[in-house]
Amino acid sequence: MNWEIGPIFRAVMRNKVGAVLIALQVAVTMTIIVNAIFIINERKELLARESGIDEANTFYLSSSGFGDNYNAQVTVEEDLANLRQIPGVINATQTNAIPISGGGWSMGLKTEPGVENEGVGVAVYFTDQHGLQTYDVELLAGRNFTDADITWRDPVKGDWPQMTILTQAMAKDLFPDLPYQDVVGKTVFINDDEPIQIIGIIDKLHAPWIGWDGLERVMLVPQHLLFDSYRYLIRTEPGQLDRLMPEIEALLADSNRNRIIRNMNSMTDTRERTYRGHSAMVSMLTIIIVVLTIVTALGIVGLVSFSVNRRRKQIGTRRALGATRFAVMRYFLVENFMITSVGVLLGAAMTVGLNIWLVNSFEMQRIDWYYIPIGMLCLWLIGLLAVYGPARKAASIPPALATRTV
Amino acid sequence: MFRYYLRLALLSYKRNPILSSLMVLAIAMGIGACMTTITVNYIMSSDPIPQKSEQLFYVQLDSWDPNSPAREPNDPPDQVTWTDATNLMKAKQAFRQSAMARSGGVVEPENGDSKPFMTDIRLAYSDFFAMFNVPFQYGSGWDSQSDDNRDMVVVISRAMNDQLFGGENSVGKTVRLAGHNFRVVGVLKEWRLVPRFYDVTTGAFDNTEDFYMPMPLKESLELTSNGNVNCWKRPAEDGFLGFLYSECVNFQMWVELRDDAEKQAYMAFLNSYADEQRALGRFERPNNNRLSNVMEWMAYNNVVADDAEIMLWLSLMFLLVCLLNTIGLLLAKFSGKAGEISLRRAVGASRRDVFMQHLVETGLIGVIGGIAGLGLAMLGLSGIGVLYGDLANDLTSMDPKLVAIALGLALVSSILAGLYPTWRSTRVAPASQLKSQ
Amino acid sequence: MLTMTNVKKIFRTDLVETHALKDFSLQVNEGEFVAVTGPSGSGKTTFLNIAGLLETFESGQYMLDGNDVSQLSDNARSKIRNQKIGFIFQGFNLLPDLNLFDNVDVPLRYRGWSASERKQRIEHALETVGLASRQKHLPSQLSGGQQQRVAIARALAGEPRFLLADEPTGNLDSKMAHSVMELLQDINQRGTTIVMVTHDPSLAAEAGRNIFVRDGQVSELHEVNTFADVVNG
Repeated sequence: MNWEIGPIFRAVMRNKVGAVLIALQVAVTMTIIVNAIFIINERKELLARESGIDEANTFYLSSSGFGDNYNAQVTVEEDLANLRQIPGVINATQTNAIPISGGGWSMGLKTEPGVENEGVGVAVYFTDQHGLQTYDVELLAGRNFTDADITWRDPVKGDWPQMTILTQAMAKDLFPDLPYQDVVGKTVFINDDEPIQIIGIIDKLHAPWIGWDGLERVMLVPQHLLFDSYRYLIRTEPGQLDRLMPEIEALLADSNRNRIIRNMNSMTDTRERTYRGHSAMVSMLTIIIVVLTIVTALGIVGLVSFSVNRRRKQIGTRRALGATRFAVMRYFLVENFMITSVGVLLGAAMTVGLNIWLVNSFEMQRIDWYYIPIGMLCLWLIGLLAVYGPARKAASIPPALATRTV
Repeated sequence: MFRYYLRLALLSYKRNPILSSLMVLAIAMGIGACMTTITVNYIMSSDPIPQKSEQLFYVQLDSWDPNSPAREPNDPPDQVTWTDATNLMKAKQAFRQSAMARSGGVVEPENGDSKPFMTDIRLAYSDFFAMFNVPFQYGSGWDSQSDDNRDMVVVISRAMNDQLFGGENSVGKTVRLAGHNFRVVGVLKEWRLVPRFYDVTTGAFDNTEDFYMPMPLKESLELTSNGNVNCWKRPAEDGFLGFLYSECVNFQMWVELRDDAEKQAYMAFLNSYADEQRALGRFERPNNNRLSNVMEWMAYNNVVADDAEIMLWLSLMFLLVCLLNTIGLLLAKFSGKAGEISLRRAVGASRRDVFMQHLVETGLIGVIGGIAGLGLAMLGLSGIGVLYGDLANDLTSMDPKLVAIALGLALVSSILAGLYPTWRSTRVAPASQLKSQ
Repeated sequence: MLTMTNVKKIFRTDLVETHALKDFSLQVNEGEFVAVTGPSGSGKTTFLNIAGLLETFESGQYMLDGNDVSQLSDNARSKIRNQKIGFIFQGFNLLPDLNLFDNVDVPLRYRGWSASERKQRIEHALETVGLASRQKHLPSQLSGGQQQRVAIARALAGEPRFLLADEPTGNLDSKMAHSVMELLQDINQRGTTIVMVTHDPSLAAEAGRNIFVRDGQVSELHEVNTFADVVNG
């Protein structure tokens, strides 16, 4: 079968500028689209991460005491007792920071004491024996805190208790060679040389900072806080959250006039806010991809239509000389395929180039190799689809045109 | 002749409405995408205090852990300790200086009906207001005597004055904050700083605070630390003062230095200060102290978000595609005009005449595309407003300068795109298209 | 008026060289109406293009209106075309988007005249060809003969000394062709020199002088009958 590759190639070479324009357009389009899809997938992976807590049914608020009549210990004890017996509340805990909320505490833990040893950074959540149920985490090994373990933390005396529960990820980072079961009972050091014993391991809980590489490194500390400001994290039964949030806010605000209840948020809203930048990026890139595909396709349609119009007489002559409709269509499809191929080859190189630049300039990963061939295929397809319409129009040019003037 | 060319350009637009509109659309899309991201980047990287950004310097002192730097590879901490902040303030070696920090407290309105509420407080020194050109509605800032005497005075924002005092001149009145009574000495005018550069640790795009008070009060009133606190060493003593005088950093130090000589003198002072402290057993790392002016400090802190920058580059490439597209379409359009060009050449149009005619034609497409692109950019910005919500406050509005940039960009890029096709159009031989075929 | 001496024109493509004109020499005097005939490919269109300064040539000399125009720049040639030469084409070559007024205006625009002067000349030219009442019409609303009249008006509006016509009646029926020829003769009577290329011997007969071109060279004939013999023989 004769696909007229040679004649088509020579015809393309005679109109280099048009061909170069289409090829460049295809190349840059591919560069943008493939990198954008890669970024989208990267962000979607981030968006899909689970914080470990029962987000749909959990909310939190801040309590800030003021004035001379305010007694933190009495307030906290009363609040927790009240919260835990409200119907619809599964459990509640006083704490200092909220997972994935953006603000919190971190400390370093060391397996050997001494300033010269490297520590492993960890997010700190103060809680009590109700913490595990409130966070909806599973105890994989060891034991939970008991009532007797809980101490009161003074705002000006930073004493640490003797024990902690760690996430599995933290245990792994501290003791890379041990299975988590064997980490239970180990002693680690906080503030360089204060010993603290690991009594339990939980499955998964996120730190407050989603951009942190230690996102899954968390330690639970068995302390209530005697601070002026602290938070309550409250987990409700499914479907009860919307009703309970305003009720609990009012209840706490009314129970003690010497404090302010503020910053009440559901975990769902917190996630939305924390990840908003990433999901916005996904939306923007998606729009760019769609619009860019349309622009490029319309550009190809425009240029091919023009080249068909310019060659009407020539096409009519070919038809008169016996070329079938299919042959005419094939001519344009093959011509475009050649040009697009140059474009996608150039595009493949440019895609990798842009990715390397993005990796060097921003915090981004290297692109996976398979994005390149998939991107090339997509652009080939877009090119062929765009050229299909004008090619069909070319095929419908009647042979009689050859004998007509103008 | 320009009006004649403009008329011809409009006629030519009408002759190929689809092709022309495709070009306008391509330019509009490219300009729209670019202007959206340029606006966001422009505002993020804008100079918040152009009159003085070269004279205001952020101080970094390397008081950190001898075993590891505060920030890789070997950067000093991004804030200073209480000890250093107060020492530098006492030394008064700069033209103006203010250490500062964010704190907070409960406001108890006099009016019994209003509920108490939490507020942010900016702790600063008296120079703060003059250094950052803070605008006053009533009264003024406090003087350096008030710093030394730890006077219980506050400056409040316009919004807070509206809320507490119904907008009237409240200078001399009392406000109860963090459990104490303070005398209002000044009320600000509306004051927006984008970015709010003086304290990037609490968010470069946060609002300015509602309350300002002398920083030395932190010690006597035991005010909380609401900003970022970073420690490398456990406080030697317990209690509020133990923590305050620890090696934890929580304070920003700004100085105003009027020229290079002052800057060099201050740098020398910082190094000798560090040497003194080293003799006292602090500053165990080699001298690594820094002075950064406003824009350097913004750049160091990556105030322009990576995502905004990535989108900027992608949208510039997007514009490139749109322009390649336009070049192709213009070539197609102009080659359809070969007959007309050839005739005009035959009856006496020079190459320059033909060039100008087509330049106006591409310029017209560029301007229409630019105006449409401006509309798309507004749409894009409100889209970003919807996507980012309050995270993008103040980042999504165009000013006249940006509108001019948009139209200029559209015009320049369309003319660049039109350059080759226009040049080609002048190469049409006068005789080539005149024979009827 | 027009003197060509040993003009040589070669067309080159990658593969072949075609000698379109070889040692082409011709003189046309002021006020003459000359018809140029010859078989297809003889070089008569090339001659016309060179005479109209639309194309350059390799060697030889071309004097127009007493000036040597052989080596002029593109700009200078544009200016001469604009001011001294009027063109009439077989395909009329009117711009379809412009109305009659604007079509006639095209060459005048490059002349730097004021709007009122242009207006006066355009109206006068359209009057001369009998289409004054249809200024606002588009070319597509006219018959072929009327379109050619507009093209003639366009050629006349700048009051050129020298009119070049390339098969001016080629796309017209004989009745229309005849009226166009009458118009041209009329114009010639008023002093404009006309050179017309045609392949129609009966039209050529209406010109004052006939020139026969063959293989890029001139064979001048004075009697129409002889010319007809040559064509037929």
